[in-house]
Amino acid sequence: MVPLSPVLILVLCVVAGIGTVLLLPSRREETLKKIGGVIVLAAFLILAAMLIHYVHGLKLGHMSVYFWLFSAVAILGAVRVIAHPRPVYAALYFVLSVMASAGLFILLWAEFMAAALVVIYAGAILVTYVFVIMLATQSARPGAPEGSEVGGLADYDAVSREPVVACAIGFTLMGVLLFVIFDRAPKGTEVVASIAGPTSAAAQPGYEPNSVQALGAYLFKSQLVNLELAGLILTIAMVGAILIARRRVVIPARPGGPAEVLLGPATPIDDNPHSIPVYGSDNPRVKAYPEA
Amino acid sequence: MSQLVLQHYLAVGAILFVIGLIGFVTRRNLIVIFLCTELMFQGVAINLVAFGRYWNNDLGGQAFTIFLLVIAASEASLALGLVVLLFRQRNTLDAEAWRELKG
Repeated sequence: MVPLSPVLILVLCVVAGIGTVLLLPSRREETLKKIGGVIVLAAFLILAAMLIHYVHGLKLGHMSVYFWLFSAVAILGAVRVIAHPRPVYAALYFVLSVMASAGLFILLWAEFMAAALVVIYAGAILVTYVFVIMLATQSARPGAPEGSEVGGLADYDAVSREPVVACAIGFTLMGVLLFVIFDRAPKGTEVVASIAGPTSAAAQPGYEPNSVQALGAYLFKSQLVNLELAGLILTIAMVGAILIARRRVVIPARPGGPAEVLLGPATPIDDNPHSIPVYGSDNPRVKAYPEA
Repeated sequence: MSQLVLQHYLAVGAILFVIGLIGFVTRRNLIVIFLCTELMFQGVAINLVAFGRYWNNDLGGQAFTIFLLVIAASEASLALGLVVLLFRQRNTLDAEAWRELKG
């Protein structure tokens, strides 16, 4: 075990921070952004090389090619999420990062979590994000130069806020975290996972459940109340989201425009459910929805 | 090539978390800000699953990741509803448009 030098970690974090500052959206030239990308890539490659050197004294394994591949894709996709000025592309790079994380989960014998991550994040949440991006996007600024990456974008997409300070603080945090993870780890805790997959403690002798079965048994035996509470939280969030979306918005008067515009769905203004008329009757001769 | 230890996964989780944090602070588009929150959630999820795997193959880490996904989904739905509401009010997604908010 060769301990990593904390100074080296900090230097790497500083270098990656400078690269990220150059990468964040702004009105600079494209060449500077490419230089920033190369700097970030080089910093991560050096860090990976140091990590390989770090575990040099241990036994050799064969699964680690996939780990390096998936983690590189996840991290570079994440960098692209925060560096791409267009929100739709940022969302798509986020999908890439999620897929790579799902690969990491499979390496950790968490097949159900990998599937859940893809279904929930890349399926449900990302579709919601893309819908909101389509709902709430302004038209392109007239007269903006086309062709470049930030051409025709609104100002709040094209220019980031305080990139130097944010990168300084963020990469200092990253340096401290990596230092704690690698240098301050208690000696002898380089835990090497056993080859066997996870087994539930509640499994019967002679019955070897796979990972998904073990997780289900664990959830419904040991975490039953928590699981039901999670379902309750989801229901409450759904009700809250519907309430928020139904609210009417009164836009204050603008000079030259209409005095007051009511936006929102055509539902009754007050949220009392008894004020919503209920149509329909048991008699099939009665029209379910009277005209007007 | 070498054997993977717990610290590898912790490092990836930490890096993802910090990248999400930087994006959360620097970006000005409200939608991208919440996208960066999801990035931070993802780093934490990798940490949890790795801890569970490397500590007696315990399943608690995966169970906590499920609860984390629940929280992330609720947060995304509520936050996006709020973002749409704010966009209707000011007709912009800029977070700076709300800088005169007080207390």
